[in-house]
Amino acid sequence: MAKPPPITNRLRELREQHGGISQSALAEAIGVTRQTVIAIELGKYSPSLESAFRIARVFDLGVEDVFGWEA
Amino acid sequence: MSPAALRNVPFREKTAWVMAAILAAGSAIYLNMVISASRALGQTAPPVVGFVIAYFVVIVIASVLFMSALAAASPKEANTPADEREKIIGDKAGNWSGYVMVVPALGALWHYAVNTDGNMLFHLVFLSLMLGQISDYVFQIVLYRQAS
Repeated sequence: MAKPPPITNRLRELREQHGGISQSALAEAIGVTRQTVIAIELGKYSPSLESAFRIARVFDLGVEDVFGWEA
Repeated sequence: MSPAALRNVPFREKTAWVMAAILAAGSAIYLNMVISASRALGQTAPPVVGFVIAYFVVIVIASVLFMSALAAASPKEANTPADEREKIIGDKAGNWSGYVMVVPALGALWHYAVNTDGNMLFHLVFLSLMLGQISDYVFQIVLYRQAS
């Protein structure tokens, strides 16, 4: 099994805070599949910089408010 | 796998399962034909061009039928282009399958250099191509399973 990337995220928490945006709706908003959103949420896939910005914009936040680097 | 779990399987992983199964079945039939013919002849059977063409035609028809059925079941997913993660998975699988294809192909060349059996060279190279393609889909499945 590949080692998960050391990037953390608050996707699930932010989806719940923003009226329970579904994984499908978020996926559509940023132009990826729902499975990719699930993989990002679970920390199994690190999104591209472009997708990271798109995700942050959906929540009206900065990239660093959504993603972090595991120390 | 439950219907709910099946819904969570990415469309491209489903297509990889279908293509791997079709190619594996086709390859098994081809190998069986070559082994049976070789046993009957007492030497490596020569390539039968008609069978090779039939192999490709059957594979293409089966692929089109199964892919159409999958696409009809999930038209939205089928029409969506591969996203960034799926492109990475496709690239990695294609890269790794290249190595799988090269190893038996080199073995085939080595076998020909030693035994000068052109018929065996044909079958082994054909087998390399089949293995390469099957492994491409198998690697895709593994990568989708890891990152889902």
